[in-house]
Amino acid sequence: MALVRFDAGLDPIGALLGLQDELERFMRNPAFTTGPSGFGAFPPVNIFESPEGALIVAEAPGLDPTKINVTGTAHTLSISGERRFESDGKGRGYHRRELSEGKFSRSIQLPDEYEAGRAEARYEAGLLTIKVPRSEQSRPRQISVQSA
Amino acid sequence: MAESETREIATKEKQQLAKPQEQTRPGRYYVPDVNIYEFEDSLKLWADMPGVRDKDVNVTLKDGVLTLVGQVATEMYSGLRPLYTEYNVGNYHREFSLHEDIDESRIKATLRNGVLELELPKKEKAKPRQIEVQGA
Repeated sequence: MALVRFDAGLDPIGALLGLQDELERFMRNPAFTTGPSGFGAFPPVNIFESPEGALIVAEAPGLDPTKINVTGTAHTLSISGERRFESDGKGRGYHRRELSEGKFSRSIQLPDEYEAGRAEARYEAGLLTIKVPRSEQSRPRQISVQSA
Repeated sequence: MAESETREIATKEKQQLAKPQEQTRPGRYYVPDVNIYEFEDSLKLWADMPGVRDKDVNVTLKDGVLTLVGQVATEMYSGLRPLYTEYNVGNYHREFSLHEDIDESRIKATLRNGVLELELPKKEKAKPRQIEVQGA
């Protein structure tokens, strides 16, 4: 089990360094599969877990929040949308053109204990974050020990 | 165009800043992807900086060098354990030397949905001007 070393709030630089190391260790974790659209699909995702459930953070800057489509069924999440630049033909042209535009869609398969159907999504600062709760059955439960 | 209708976004792996200057802040820095478009009287620049909020972005123009720096927010990751990751998180840094004479005082910067948008108006004298050729 990984130790969570990044604790923001106290030391922002240390928090970032800890986070970077931690993310590096789980880079394309072979023990975890996202299903048919894996690494290389847009948007790239990081998947975390907390006691409440999973958190998926996708880097997808420049989208119109009203045109992002997130659907959840059973243990699969699907994300789709489109990035468009307003074109203005009146200028002299591009000096650099590195940002890509177009449509995207990918699906992410989660382990059975997560309920994608009850997910909540939020778009802020170019990050699409999706919270997926753990199913009731998979939450740890305190078992009372009875005496004889 | 029918072609652009079906075109899909390509995923690019983030490029780590190769040889940054000596930094007082340690950690990985990434090079943000940009579009730069030239208009008759201005340049417009878009830089992808997902995870950066507007108070954490810094744009400077000095001696013809435009520097973009974005500090990524990390509080949201507190208390989370990674399961699987496809990208690393880091600050953004990129510099451009500008050939055009830019009017610093009129530079406008906005950050929207993780994209830094810069408007760099050219100085008056840099605009093309019709010179009248006089006959002898």
